[in-house]
Amino acid sequence: MAEASDLTTTRRGFIAGGAATVAASALVVPLVMQSSANLAGSNAVADAGLVPAPGSPLGAYLKIDSNNLVTVITGSTEMGQGIMSGMAQLAAAELNLDWTKVRGEHSVTTAANVASFGNPLFGAQVTGGSTSMRGWYRPMRQAAAQARALLLTAASQLYGGTWTLASGGRVEQNGVFHTFAELVAKAATLPMPAAQPLLDSGGLVGKALPRLDIPAKVNGSAIFGIDVVLPGMVYATTVHCPTLGGTVKTMPTQASGAKLINLTTAVAVVASNTYAAFSAAKGLALSVVWTLPTNLPLLDTTSLYKAGSALLTSTSVVPQVAETSGDAGAALGSAAKSIDATYTLPMLAHTYLEVINCTVKPTYTAGVLTEIELWVPTQAQGFVLPTVAKLTGLPMTAVKVHTPYIGSGFGRKIEQDYVTEAVQIALAIGGPVKLTWSRPQDFSNDKYRPGAQIRVRLGANTAGLPTALVYRNVSLSINAQRNPSNPEDTGAVAGAVSLPYAIANRQIEFVPNPCALPLGYWRSVGESYNTFAVESAIDEMALLLKQDPLTFRRTLLAGDSRGLGVVNAVATLANWGKPATGNAQGLAFLKGFGSYIAIVAEVGKSGTTLRVKKLSVAIDCGTVVNPDSVASQLEGGLIYGMAATLWQQALFTNGVPVSSNFNKYRVARMSDVPVIATTIVPSTQDPGGVGETGVPCVAPAIANAWARLTGIRQRSLPFFPGSTMSDG
Amino acid sequence: MATTVNLTVNGLARTVTVDSLDTPLLWVLRDVLGLTGTKYGCGIEICGACTVIANGQAIKTCDTSVGEVAGGTIMTVEGLANDADGKKAQAAWIAAQVPQCGYCQSGFLMATVAAMKAGHHGSSIAGELSNVCLCGTYPRIAKAISTL
Repeated sequence: MAEASDLTTTRRGFIAGGAATVAASALVVPLVMQSSANLAGSNAVADAGLVPAPGSPLGAYLKIDSNNLVTVITGSTEMGQGIMSGMAQLAAAELNLDWTKVRGEHSVTTAANVASFGNPLFGAQVTGGSTSMRGWYRPMRQAAAQARALLLTAASQLYGGTWTLASGGRVEQNGVFHTFAELVAKAATLPMPAAQPLLDSGGLVGKALPRLDIPAKVNGSAIFGIDVVLPGMVYATTVHCPTLGGTVKTMPTQASGAKLINLTTAVAVVASNTYAAFSAAKGLALSVVWTLPTNLPLLDTTSLYKAGSALLTSTSVVPQVAETSGDAGAALGSAAKSIDATYTLPMLAHTYLEVINCTVKPTYTAGVLTEIELWVPTQAQGFVLPTVAKLTGLPMTAVKVHTPYIGSGFGRKIEQDYVTEAVQIALAIGGPVKLTWSRPQDFSNDKYRPGAQIRVRLGANTAGLPTALVYRNVSLSINAQRNPSNPEDTGAVAGAVSLPYAIANRQIEFVPNPCALPLGYWRSVGESYNTFAVESAIDEMALLLKQDPLTFRRTLLAGDSRGLGVVNAVATLANWGKPATGNAQGLAFLKGFGSYIAIVAEVGKSGTTLRVKKLSVAIDCGTVVNPDSVASQLEGGLIYGMAATLWQQALFTNGVPVSSNFNKYRVARMSDVPVIATTIVPSTQDPGGVGETGVPCVAPAIANAWARLTGIRQRSLPFFPGSTMSDG
Repeated sequence: MATTVNLTVNGLARTVTVDSLDTPLLWVLRDVLGLTGTKYGCGIEICGACTVIANGQAIKTCDTSVGEVAGGTIMTVEGLANDADGKKAQAAWIAAQVPQCGYCQSGFLMATVAAMKAGHHGSSIAGELSNVCLCGTYPRIAKAISTL
């Protein structure tokens, strides 16, 4: 697959980091590409064993019930991106199903089936990095194609002769039909067939089918993690030290009738309902005596960025050299024209709407813990299993993980901190419990997007062509924090390395800025900051050379047809060069997540302040499974990126978060949203990622448009620090 | 001190027992009545995920005590299918394929239906929606309400 190298460079740190967090690598196989055929053969229908009865699993991924309803089971978490429907669409294509008779479900993950649900790109059951469709496009189709072969063989053995696939979950022979439901018991007894051809008999790949989860999301019946209720369950919340990194020194034994439990890094409050727990938790932080961390400068954003500024220009620090070609220093020195610009981007919170929660049910046999069952809004079932096993001493076979719908995650819900807390509480009380964080606790105990300071030096020759790129990213490093013995962080430079631009001499460096604030993966990860620096600098160079930014990028992308394709497509879509009166346009481009994307922002003024009027986006994400889902992810990604660009930053004063709710952390409302236009460039290449791809180009496109409109170059984000929701 | 409150919820008379009349309606709906379609988001009446219709008005239930609406008539997302405007809004949401994660959508639907009942139509409903969607479904919400 074309994106193998892309994935390896950008996501190795991600997976390794996750594994390090839970100190369990058993499930995290090396990032080795596996052939689709092998994967489907070993993982798909065969692995789970076929249970010979209608309504029972036909392999790990498919269930066919007595009413011929087909349920497609996905290991990727449905968090809004539509993957549950997308996976079902792949299976439906190979089985020629009636879409109204298809359902989607999350896996119930156990040690026995977790390998079947590991993303084929990297092995672990983790939803992140815009990899689900990239990993599963062929394996899921192959699993369904093998199921098709089994059903046809079953028909032949039951009814004689040769049968062919018909529409609507049936097989046909000379006008006679049988349903899959009639065949599934027999099919389940048959040996696994060899890899089958992928046929898309249903003609469903590329169709804008309606999503399977939407009806339940408009009538209140969709069950999110926070909605889980178990018999006999109690309700818990946790209170963390107001200073990040603090631990409990002394604490009261009770508060307003609620039970308190010392979790070392937090106090758990257990009560008979959520409100009682929240009420008892209010003010508790003040009556707990905390042992405060001693490394306060590493918990203070002002101190951190001051240290980062020194590292930007330091000649004594030894950087991690992520990419080098030619002699960038010499080429820069002999350049006819050059720029030297520093871009700064803040730490960010994740801003999903469903607060952190986790429900745990321990089972005891003769007073001894024998099993743990969890309902977790998680992006990483593959990490939950070893986390719980390690914490409890149980074998992983004694752990079962249910995944409800999740009220989005954006990367935060890969983490295991809340799973750990919930299990600790369940064991302390010896019964089922739902842990729900309050919004202020959630905001104040996020795993924040690293802040970055990036110095870009670009040189061009007398012909107006860039010849040198010297790039130094100084940022808070997720990997250095999680894996201090091996601080190499390739994710930190994602979006700055392997640029498809024709620039011969390059030096791409990364310098970790030591930090004790908790860091994590935020929608579009390294690209979320590097793309701002790269695309702003390219634009600055175009302006310096008095070249049109579109023409300039066309020149730089002359050797990359897919890159050119999206740049040209967005120029047409946005009517490049002809903004409405009073507006200006800005362009940005990214090759990332296995896709190519270009965005044009059209901005104007509202009074004296910036107003984003229109965002146009063109994507080439290879083969498209559901174009409406692609459009939906792009729309959402643009708005998410716009809010971060304009308003958002997570600041900390000696470990204390400045913002602890949306009132002091502005997010987009309906009235903020510009006109959005999307287009998909047709492609027959392998599927690329979409969920994150829409985010990174928004900031540079807006900044580039603003520079054209006003002559003011915004090199520091957000545009409007200190924004609050009442500004809206 | 436990006390009881009478409410009409989605057309059904309910008597609920709560520790205090100060208990926010949100937690009565979710933890006492099991109507979990109404969501907790921010707790400070900003995000609107907890919006229901109480006595004809859209209210944010995270900071509205059950005592304030004692004896009142409540409609939640679970009741939309039995309401003519609610049904229209649900159908519009499905037609425009609005939800992504879906967590905020109950609140948006309730605010939309309240606006419809107040006489708003089409795009004028947008002005009544101060809710927050972090997935960014706003363009599709706009499309959905344009048909109402």
